[in-house]
Formats: sequence, C-alpha cells, structure tokens
Amino acid sequence: MDLTESHFFDRTKMKDIVITAQRIKKELYILLGCFAAACTLNAISIILYKTPWYELFTQIGYVVIITVCIYLLVALIRVVVALLVKLVTSGKKR
Amino acid sequence: MSRKEEKQVDLSLRQFIKDLGGITGGAALLGTMPWLQSFTPDKLKEVAKEKSRIAIIGTGSRGQYHIHNMFSIQHAEIVALCDTYAPNLEAAAALVPTAKKYSDYRKVLELPEVDGVVIATPLNWHAPILLDALSAGKHVFCEKSMAYSMEECKQIYDTYQTSDRVVYFCMQRMFDEKYIKGIQMIQSGLIGDVVGARCYWYRNHDWRRPVPSPELERSINWRLYRESSGGLMTELATHQLEVCNWATKRIPKSVMGMGDIVFWKDGREVYDSVSLVYHYSNGVKINYESVISNKFNGMEDQILGHDGTMNLATGMYYLENENIGKSGIEQLLSQIGDKVFTAVPLAGASWRPETKKEYTPFPILADNFNVSDGISMIGAVNDGSDQMLSAFCQACITGEKGENIVEEAYSSTLLCLLGNQAMDEQRKIDFPEEYKIPYMKF
Repeated sequence: MDLTESHFFDRTKMKDIVITAQRIKKELYILLGCFAAACTLNAISIILYKTPWYELFTQIGYVVIITVCIYLLVALIRVVVALLVKLVTSGKKR
Repeated sequence: MSRKEEKQVDLSLRQFIKDLGGITGGAALLGTMPWLQSFTPDKLKEVAKEKSRIAIIGTGSRGQYHIHNMFSIQHAEIVALCDTYAPNLEAAAALVPTAKKYSDYRKVLELPEVDGVVIATPLNWHAPILLDALSAGKHVFCEKSMAYSMEECKQIYDTYQTSDRVVYFCMQRMFDEKYIKGIQMIQSGLIGDVVGARCYWYRNHDWRRPVPSPELERSINWRLYRESSGGLMTELATHQLEVCNWATKRIPKSVMGMGDIVFWKDGREVYDSVSLVYHYSNGVKINYESVISNKFNGMEDQILGHDGTMNLATGMYYLENENIGKSGIEQLLSQIGDKVFTAVPLAGASWRPETKKEYTPFPILADNFNVSDGISMIGAVNDGSDQMLSAFCQACITGEKGENIVEEAYSSTLLCLLGNQAMDEQRKIDFPEEYKIPYMKF
C-alpha cells in the first residue's frame, strides 16, 4: 500500500501550526532573560566563593546549560499557567 | 645481554627534577630540597663516561638489594665485596664474579681502586666502618639509621663537617617522586596549616631469619637484639620521622611513648609493639605506632593539615573542603545539589557516631607511581633507594656533597634513639641540648 495515500498523510486533513514572528521574538526575549539570569548567577557565585572574574568567560559552558534549564523551567511554569487560565475561562463560559 | 645494558634506573626522577626547575615555584622548591639540585639528566651526561668504583660492605639481603640496583647504574661498578658471613659473601660474589672478596672491611678500605663504600651491615657496625672509611678517604653510602647511639651519631656528624668526602644515608624517601611532590604541595599550602602527623607501620611477621647454627643467632637476627639494633624505631620509624620533619621543617622538642613485647615472645629483646608521641614546640604532634603482629593498617605517612591530609606513602591526598580548586559556579551548583539531595532526618537519635567520612582521593603524581605495602624486609622496588644510590655514585665522581642528607639522617636517628629511651625509662624526654645542631629548628 502506498503510505502517502493513507489517512495519516492526507495533507488536506492536517492542521498547520503557525509560529508568528511576534511569538519567536517573545521566546527569544525570554531566552535572553534566562541567559542574563544565568550570567548573574555566575557573577554571584564568583563573588560568593571569591573565585577569579575570568570565570565569567571560562565557565560559559555552565552558563549555557543553566540558561537552557531556566528556559525549560519557565516554559513548564508557562504551560501550567496557560492550562490553569484555560480551565478557569472554560469554567466561566459554562 | 650484559647487565649494564639495562636501562639507567633514575631517568624518570632526573627528568622530573629538571621539569620542576622549569615550572613556577619549582626553583624555590629545589631551594628547599638542595640534595636534588645536581640530580639532573645534564649531570648524568657529564659523568656518563666515568665510573665510580664501589665496594659493598655487608652483603646480606640489603647489600644484595643494592647490588641489584647498581646493575642499572651505568656510572658505577662494583669492585669489592666484604662480609664476615661466608654464605652471604658467596651469594654476592655469584652476582658480581669480577669483584674481589674480603671478610675484613679494613682491607677493603686499603684498596686504592675503591672510590666509595656502601655500608649495609647491622646498625652497631655503621659508625666504626663509616668513620674508618672517611679516615681512609673513601666516600660513604650508609644504610639507615645513622648509628647505634647518639654519641656515635654526633661523632659522625662532627667528622663529616670537617671532611671533604661525600656521605649519604639511605633515607630513600628524599628521592621518591611522590614524597618530593607531596612535600612541595604541603609547603605550598595545599592542605593548609599542618596540625598533626600520623605515621604507622604494621606488619604481621616475626622479623626472624632462619639460622643454620645457634651460635649465629645474634649475628643473623641482629635486628632482634639490643646490642646491635634499635628495633622498630631505627629500622622503620626513622624513615617516617624524617618525612614528618621534612614536611614541618621542624624537629620535635620532646617525646614520650610505650613499648612492649606483646606477641613475639621468642627471646628477642627489642619491642614488637611501640606507640609514641613526638611533640613540636608549636603543639603539633606526631603520633607514631608500629606493631608487627597485625598488618591491617599497613604502612602510611599522613601529614594532617587544616584543609586536607597528605598521605605520602600511598601517594594520595584528601581535601577537607572538596570544593577547593573548583570554579565558583561549580561550587554553587554543588552546594545546591547537597541541599536538595541530602536526607533530612525527621526523627530519631540526635547523636550519630562520627565514623570516617569517605573522602575523594587525589593522586599526588599524574603518572603511574609505585606504592610500597611496607611488608618487604629488604626494600621495595623503586622506593627511591636506587635513585639515591645513583646520586651517590654520581657524587663519588663529581665530589659534590648531598646537601642536608646527613643532617636529615642525624635528626631522624636521634629522634628514634630518644624514642627508645623514652619507652625504656617510661618518661617524657626532651631533645638534649648537647645533640642539637645548627640545621635543627625546634
């Protein structure tokens, strides 16, 4: 059987997901915010543990990992908040 | 293959010392360990075409150990052998058939072709042979400890001061890479202020050798009798006390201790179990123990610092704060991790026994290195003895004295003899004024 003819690959029945430029911009801003937070954390740890300031650059690997972790954490919080908002609004409609 | 074709024994240590000279602080390190300064590959090249002619006096197990080591030293040759016990002399002669054989050491000292002698006799013979050798103009490499009594030690030290001959004592840890690097780490502050030292040597062996005839008991098992031996102190502790003084750059001002024959009640006169406390003027103490009827703890030389512990015998160090050396962010993450994952006791006893924490071991040397289990009575492989012998043979050619070696041997031997006195008299003994030398800092 030709798979392209099946129901799953019927392009007319598939829904397009549109990521707007505004949405991408927003996500980039959030990612930038996360990066700034990770850099601040690195700076705080340098002050706290009295380590050399060049660690701002040498520890960039950790900063990138922490950025991704914060971004994923923020994304999780946003999903939860969005779900809660959806629940509340659907409850009001009833 | 000729034995002399084997690889030069000490190249790795010589290169290690050369490399130390090239790194930051390395020159300062060599300044604190001056006996190593001439032990370089360049010096080896200088003496490559010459040979020091060596006589071995005392060809028992340790003497033969040195003979084997000498096969790998290209700038040395054994020209004479001497022992009063014929089987040992013959065994050594089988190893070096070209060497002349003697039963009287004075005949050896008369030989013009002998540049230096290696003394590997019982302890009570060290001083007479060494002093006669210096009088005869020979360079001397002598086994530890320095001598049988404090008077003899002082006599050797004073004679050496006025002699132009080279004298080495086999304090082999001074030529052991892991000890050299470990002491450098201690003195550069890695483990913080030194707050104590804990050294011990445990074996489970009677220390006896088989005797073919009863009249030979005291000469073959000389280690067991007070007329010829200082027991565990002069045979084992001397190395470990030397390391403690090397690390702390001080000499203890007093000692107290207890010694007993606990298990090997076989007619021996020296203790088979000793526990001593050596006390430095700043309050730091060496806790020393040696037992030869249990080997659970093995042999270790631990220098305890406020920030860590250096275990020189195993070549490992342990940090109290394991975050030292980590970046700020690593320390922060580690602290967060500790707080998140550490179990919080909700109920139960408010007191817990402070059992030993598992520390992360860090190696002193990056490359592979030898660790002795301390069990061999003859000597471990690559424990620094061979390198030290090579340095001595080099010095026989160049005439350069091994700086501080005699002083270190003198200090540690006196501490051993004072330890024996403290145990015999069951009282605290202060370091006697008459045996202090300018090298010692208390």
